[in-house]
Amino acid sequence: MLSRTAENLYWISRYMERAETMARLLDVGYRMSLFPNPKGYHNEWDSVLSAAGAAQGYFTKYNEINQENVEDYIFFDEENPSSVYSCISKARNNALLVRTAFTPEAWVAINKSYKEILELKNKKFTRADLPNFTEWTIQQVNMFRGSANSLLRNDGYHFIFLGTFIERADNSARLLDVKYFVLLPTADYIGGNLDNLQWIILLRSLSSFRAFRWAYDGDVTSTKIAHFFILNNDCSRSLSFCINNIVYHLNCLKCSPDKISDIYSGLKSVHNSVKDETVESIIEYGLHEYVTNFVSKISFLDNQIQNHFFR
Amino acid sequence: MFDEMYSDDAQIRKHYLQVNSWLRTMSSTVISQKNFEAESHFKRIGITFSVKDDDMTERIIPFDLIPRILTNNEWVKIEKGVLQRAKALNSFLHDIYNSGEIFKAGIVPKEIVYKKSSYDQSMINFSPPRKIYSPIIGVDLVRTGKDEFYVLEDNCRTPSGVSYMLENREIMMKMFPDLFHTNRVLRVDDYPTRLLQTLMSLAPKKCDSSIPTVVLLTPGHLNSAYYEHTFLSDQMGIEMVESQDLFVENDLLYMKTVDGPKKIDVVYRRIDDEFLDPLCYNPDSVIGVPGITQVYKTGGVNICSAPGAGIADDKAIYIFVPEMIKFYLGETPILDNVETWRCERDDELTYVLENIEKLVVKEVDGSGGYGMLIGPKSTKDQISEFSTKLKSNPRGYIAQPTLDLSSSPTLIDNEVSGRRVDLRPFCLVGEKVQLCPGGLTRVALNKGSYVVNSSQGGGVKDTWVLAD
Repeated sequence: MLSRTAENLYWISRYMERAETMARLLDVGYRMSLFPNPKGYHNEWDSVLSAAGAAQGYFTKYNEINQENVEDYIFFDEENPSSVYSCISKARNNALLVRTAFTPEAWVAINKSYKEILELKNKKFTRADLPNFTEWTIQQVNMFRGSANSLLRNDGYHFIFLGTFIERADNSARLLDVKYFVLLPTADYIGGNLDNLQWIILLRSLSSFRAFRWAYDGDVTSTKIAHFFILNNDCSRSLSFCINNIVYHLNCLKCSPDKISDIYSGLKSVHNSVKDETVESIIEYGLHEYVTNFVSKISFLDNQIQNHFFR
Repeated sequence: MFDEMYSDDAQIRKHYLQVNSWLRTMSSTVISQKNFEAESHFKRIGITFSVKDDDMTERIIPFDLIPRILTNNEWVKIEKGVLQRAKALNSFLHDIYNSGEIFKAGIVPKEIVYKKSSYDQSMINFSPPRKIYSPIIGVDLVRTGKDEFYVLEDNCRTPSGVSYMLENREIMMKMFPDLFHTNRVLRVDDYPTRLLQTLMSLAPKKCDSSIPTVVLLTPGHLNSAYYEHTFLSDQMGIEMVESQDLFVENDLLYMKTVDGPKKIDVVYRRIDDEFLDPLCYNPDSVIGVPGITQVYKTGGVNICSAPGAGIADDKAIYIFVPEMIKFYLGETPILDNVETWRCERDDELTYVLENIEKLVVKEVDGSGGYGMLIGPKSTKDQISEFSTKLKSNPRGYIAQPTLDLSSSPTLIDNEVSGRRVDLRPFCLVGEKVQLCPGGLTRVALNKGSYVVNSSQGGGVKDTWVLAD
């Protein structure tokens, strides 16, 4: 497989995954804005912006935070490199360059998403359209993932899923980092509705609210939520699930065993940490530190993949 | 005007009977719906092209639902004629880059050949594998009568359009499967396999594997035929590479893969000679591969088509093709050329200027339907403007009679109406010389128009060759 092809495939899935994260984040902000608080309504748009890594870009363009602007910036803005529009359009451009590494189904899925978002972008929309946009985006990403099933199980397939899980690991970790303080044991003592809402934001943004209920009996506690997000292998967005999948797809690559073992050695400590650690020990070590360390390991991994396979 | 569906006494020709009754069953609602279906399909798969002065928009070529049908008898003649031409053109190329027998015989004046920029001096005394320069030749044919097919031009470099031949058939089979139960249409879907076999049969002498590595070299996604590049690579199961994927080392050509360098044996290039190698041709080329010609000349890789193959489809060389067939093959040409006047000859220029309103005048180096004058369709001003150009640069033009292109039933605003068509079959020249039974039928959608080019109001049709 051409190095350029592998690189493009890897980025296509990263962009598609990112598009989904962005859409889910917007949905969280939207739901929160419908709930009353003592002064008016909840306003989570600033944490949405920071979880999306879009705060800096947003404030060079706008002075104040409001739903219309955040929505436009995160969904449609071409100047925001991580907007859903930017992600889908970059994924489509990359797909155009590697059409031969794709089945027609996979190409059609991405091309169709692109054509549709072009149309959506040019339409006037109202506040109430936001959930539809989110739903649409998730559908598109699912269509892409589903169509990837039709691919030959060669290295290209595994580069696609390496991209998917590296992006997801990064996104989940960053989201945790924005909200880590609501999972600290002290938060339990504060109690009250606000904190429950904050937990729900976390669960919903990972589309795991119902899954969590199925996975854990009894009360919702911060420890259970932290366990769910970090160590639970059944949760398809947990850090542990992502790492396991990264290791799996890395080991499936048929090319260059030397490069793969080199990459794995850099990943070992994170892999072990999700296998052997307990939530208690992670919290004792420092949740924030743990997550920060995780993000930097993922970024190091991304660098190694680029250098070993794509250069 | 010859009508493909109706005979002179207004009877439906036998081979169109089934299609005609099928047409009668379709209401205009169904036609609209099927048109929409086809259009959405082409958009989804991204079979688009960009127009010269408007290169940012992706358009699709209008697709007409009514197939263009050729009987087996008609096809046999076309096939023989095209194969004959393809062999002669390759013999000609080998000859003019080697011993030059055709010059010595006084059939083609060597000045004409040597002066052409498409004549590549660096190819002199070089012989590519199997002496084949042009493995894929698209021959543009027009029809003016029951048995009258003429060759309008040959395309010996990298003819495009074959993806339409294949995709048009796919969409027809998908939308109207019944038609293929009632008509025995010869298959075209094995073209990519045949193309791959052809390219593999042209491996260079340094290739040590029984399965040569073939790649398709594309200039990139901004090229108007990019869809076709991806389509053909995909169908053949070969890598589609760009210049940045390739490098030369020790007189061999490699591509960069996740597994390290991989040697390449045959390059099916879809970029022009000029951009092939910045060390040998245009030094500013960023889409070519530095050093690839050196690898080629030392037998490390084969480049298809060969550099310099374009001289064979030059409009000034075209007029000699019937002579070439006699000279190299000792055969009588099966397909005729269109009568052509060379404006560089004084007497012929005089004739052209006197009869310009009846003629088609073309730039020798033009293509795509640009830079031409169709006398009967032009205003006085356009004619006088073109006459001035002709006089100042007679060498740059040829003229041909305005051919009465045959007309084929076409859906215009959901009604059947006759529109003029041409035909481009694709001939493969490798270990075998073969023609896929079908081709690209282009149709001039504007009423009365002769211009079938997609950039100027042309559409395409599925082309059927019936089993006998």
